[in-house]
Amino acid sequence: MKRSLYFRYGYNDLIRNKGVNVALLILLVMSSFLMATGAMVMERSVGAVNALLDEAKPPHFLQMHKGDYDREALDTFATAHPEIESWLIEEMLGFDGGTISWSRPSSGEFGDFSSSLIDNLVVTQNDDFDFLIDGAGAIPRPSTGEVYVPVGYQQSFALQIGDEITIRTDSGNQDFTVRGFVRDSQMASSLSSATRFLVSDTDFQNLTEAGGGDPEIIAEYRLSDTSLIPKFERSYESDDVLPKNGQAVTFQMIQIINAFSDGLVALALVFVSGLLVVIALLNLRFVIRGTVEDEVREIGVMKAIGLPSKAISGLFLAKYSVMTLLGCAIGGVLAVVATQFLTQSVQANYAQAPLGPQTVLVPVLALLVVYLIVIAMCRGVLRGVRKVEVVSALVHGSTLDEKQTARRAKRLARRARGTNLASAGRGNMNTRLALLDLRAEASQWLLIPVVFALATFLIVIPTNLLTTFESPRFVTYMGAPESALRADLQFSDDVDAAHQQLLSSMRADDRLSQVRDYANVLYETPGEEGWETLRVEVGDYSAGTVAFIGGRAPQEGEIALSVLNADQYQLSAGDEMSLRHGKGDATETVVISGIYQDVTSGGHTAKMNGDVISGATGYVIYADTAEGADPAAIARQYNDDNPVATVIPMQEYVKQTLDYVTTAFRNAAILAGIFGVGVALLITILFLKLRLTRERTKMGVLSAIGFSSREIASQVRFKVLLTVVVGTLVGSIFAATVGEWLVGAAISQAGLGIARLDFIPNPWLVYLAHPLILIAAGYAGAVALTVRLRTPNKSAWLKGRQE
Amino acid sequence: MSNTINATLECQNLTKTFNATDPPAKVLNGVDLTVKDGEFLVVMGASGSGKSTLLYCISGMDRPTSGSVHLQGQDLTSLSDTEMSQVRLTQMGFIFQQGYFLGNLNIRDNILLPALKAAPRATDAAIERVDNLMERFGIAEVRLHGITEVSGGQLQRASICRALASEPTVLFADEPTGALNSSMSTDVMDSLTDIHASGTTIVMVTHDPVCAARGDRVIYLRDGLLLDSRELGAWSEAHATKREDELLAWLREHGF
Ligand SMILES: Nc1ncnc2c1ncn2[C@@H]1O[C@H](COP(=O)(O)OP(=O)(O)O)[C@@H](O)[C@H]1O
Ligand SMILES: [Mg+2]
Repeated sequence: MKRSLYFRYGYNDLIRNKGVNVALLILLVMSSFLMATGAMVMERSVGAVNALLDEAKPPHFLQMHKGDYDREALDTFATAHPEIESWLIEEMLGFDGGTISWSRPSSGEFGDFSSSLIDNLVVTQNDDFDFLIDGAGAIPRPSTGEVYVPVGYQQSFALQIGDEITIRTDSGNQDFTVRGFVRDSQMASSLSSATRFLVSDTDFQNLTEAGGGDPEIIAEYRLSDTSLIPKFERSYESDDVLPKNGQAVTFQMIQIINAFSDGLVALALVFVSGLLVVIALLNLRFVIRGTVEDEVREIGVMKAIGLPSKAISGLFLAKYSVMTLLGCAIGGVLAVVATQFLTQSVQANYAQAPLGPQTVLVPVLALLVVYLIVIAMCRGVLRGVRKVEVVSALVHGSTLDEKQTARRAKRLARRARGTNLASAGRGNMNTRLALLDLRAEASQWLLIPVVFALATFLIVIPTNLLTTFESPRFVTYMGAPESALRADLQFSDDVDAAHQQLLSSMRADDRLSQVRDYANVLYETPGEEGWETLRVEVGDYSAGTVAFIGGRAPQEGEIALSVLNADQYQLSAGDEMSLRHGKGDATETVVISGIYQDVTSGGHTAKMNGDVISGATGYVIYADTAEGADPAAIARQYNDDNPVATVIPMQEYVKQTLDYVTTAFRNAAILAGIFGVGVALLITILFLKLRLTRERTKMGVLSAIGFSSREIASQVRFKVLLTVVVGTLVGSIFAATVGEWLVGAAISQAGLGIARLDFIPNPWLVYLAHPLILIAAGYAGAVALTVRLRTPNKSAWLKGRQE
Repeated sequence: MSNTINATLECQNLTKTFNATDPPAKVLNGVDLTVKDGEFLVVMGASGSGKSTLLYCISGMDRPTSGSVHLQGQDLTSLSDTEMSQVRLTQMGFIFQQGYFLGNLNIRDNILLPALKAAPRATDAAIERVDNLMERFGIAEVRLHGITEVSGGQLQRASICRALASEPTVLFADEPTGALNSSMSTDVMDSLTDIHASGTTIVMVTHDPVCAARGDRVIYLRDGLLLDSRELGAWSEAHATKREDELLAWLREHGF
């Protein structure tokens, strides 16, 4: 009996309020879809990263090094540290992308890897840990003549098994057949500056002897307990004789870097869905209140025949539960499809995430959260049903009891006394009436500005992130000056000579200007475990380089520290710091001039004012190009002329290293844009539909008095336009202030070395195009609903008839 | 089209069909009606016979399906929605059974609304006219009240003021006393009689023979057709009872 009542009620309502119910359902589907997708992408990504870390066993600490090193010192260090579970020295040969080519005998296609700016390192498979993993999750060991290519290249260059790879050495070409593709736990992330190719021991030997490759090593350690890593890192750093001409990386950094790029997609999705859920809730509240008001007489009758309030609100609740459940189900199914699409590249770069109970549990939990929040809110609003009094419901059709009605009437009367139509503004009567309406019904209309503010926030934040990461200025967050070209000279025996030659030719080149020369020098500074290595870039910073978040560029006798170093040594601008070149050398004292952010070299860097001396571990030269010159062409030419140097156009470098991140942000921005505008439109329509139904009598009166349909419609459009514009403005201001602060806080927590993220917005986009699109969407919704006001039977408005 | 010089309102073969319902509702089936200048015409008929629809069609709130309506010689059916609204604003006044006021305006502003809209620049004149009207109909003391703070009778008199605010040629009243008790009802009818006396043409729908007796002429609608019409002559307080009795007898003939 009860069930059939619920069913009949639900069915009738569905027929009567088709539009409203469909719109609500869409909103619920969108919210649950994004929520579930966010949760699933997160679960899949974490799963994929963890699966790869499990299979590949990356080192807990590693130190890259170029040049000679003391093998015995490494042995001594290892025996002195019992926490080392196992360790190895990985020997590698670095080849420039231009010296590695590929071809496909079956089709005759060919190409090379010169467009890739990262280092190509040829290695052999390790025995104990740090494995390169093939597609099946196995540890491949190539036979002679075979090569395993990084999956990243498989994707970028569309390589296939069976393709030929040719490496150009000093003594001719060496050919390999692609046997498969490998995933790399250390270097999988696009933020990594290198990638590894796998060959057999024999081939590695041959390549070494052939010459042309840049020898490099990584000292890798696995510890018995990962909690020992920070202490271990410090004791390695403070040991003078160990090789450390290169980047040091810890297990945590590997984890962060790996999680960063894909975690961002998931985070963006969760952000978008969170806002959508809020919008859905606001809207649902509005709809439920309206429904209760509309059906107050039915509620009164049910109460009069003795149905308890609980049963009556149960009727409504049943309907919204079913709708929410349906929304979650549809959203969940759509999410499964979307997740597969969104995690394709993660699964390829990392590992197939294992399917476990958490694969189902995580999205279901996310959907459950959506469901519970929505239902809790419904219950809250439906509590109003209890307060409905039979008499006022039946006689006055009011949800309010006598006292409330009286209070309301008083309030209305007070306001009416306060207005004065004759002197209320000079605008035309339609504008005046619209403004008076907005004032009287502010609590209803508030929904629109709130929704539009949230939608603006939703659209602007991902867009700002995207333009920030895509901006040429973003390099200043990466510890580099904003310039057109960057020349990198890594350590080799003849690095000083090569540096001099490159520098003089660049200085003489009139296509280049602002040639700035910096040396990478290893210093030591006192840390917790005694003297520790500090990587310092030495040069002249007077011309303005990176952006300083505190203090300024270093001058004579001064040094600037990266955020992470400033944190590590607990130093800030104005403090002093001791430096020495090595054991036994004189100690000098420098003053900290400022703090800057840096994401390169694990974020631990310093910049000191001084002359670029020889004997550095490497050099970096920045230059700007003259108007009209093509940085890419100039870079290519310098690369060919200077084999030791890597010269790259900065824009390209940033693009490649941040490609993953910007892709993630672009997807999020597009998604947020579509959803934001869609939701804004949907809610405008939904709101107006309900609002106009309630305003029929008023429209009838206005029409009888002599307002045309056009004028009545214009009042509605004006109200919508005003509230939409206000909401969008508030949202824009909010996004630029609170939004930037929130996102900055989130990014600085990521431990990447960015302490403060100032948006680099595209003002045309976020302050003009986006707001205009949103406002246009709102206005379009208003127009769509108000064209129906041109009915030939306006008396129906006064008769309470549905047209 | 030859208008007799004193015909304010003239409908010819007016029909109205609502297509929203299934089957379409043929509510007016060819009504011919002439309202003389200054006449007080009463429209009667059973509930659902199309009385309200007739008023809405004449005033252009609803578009007649066919037929023509002339107001002082002007063909209303050919006007655009905006032009028709202007006619309603300046030449017609409406009084409904319910007050139908804007809740966020006080009584005086509600009455002022059409006057201000009709003549946005003549604010002072409008205010003066409205204040005089409110004085005349005895609601001056509640002029700044909210619409929830006054009695039904006061509200209906405010309705009358609003209808007169822009000095219309013809006043439409759709059961103006339908929601009032008899003493309030008499008040309102006295007001209408007063307005009529000062020369305004009135078309009033009512169910109440006592109210109907105030008119110059009564027409009877059945199923969207004008069934019969009866001249009553000028109303006077003294002959009220006799008029009412005669009218009732006439109405009974038509199955009232
Ligand atoms: N907008 C409309 N759509 C469909 N039918 C309508 C509409 N308005 C009125 N009607 C129908 O027209 C008939 C006459 O209505 P109405 O003119 O209000 O009658 P009266 O005022 O004489 O009581 C009724 O049967 C009513 O149901
Ligand atoms: Mg009627």
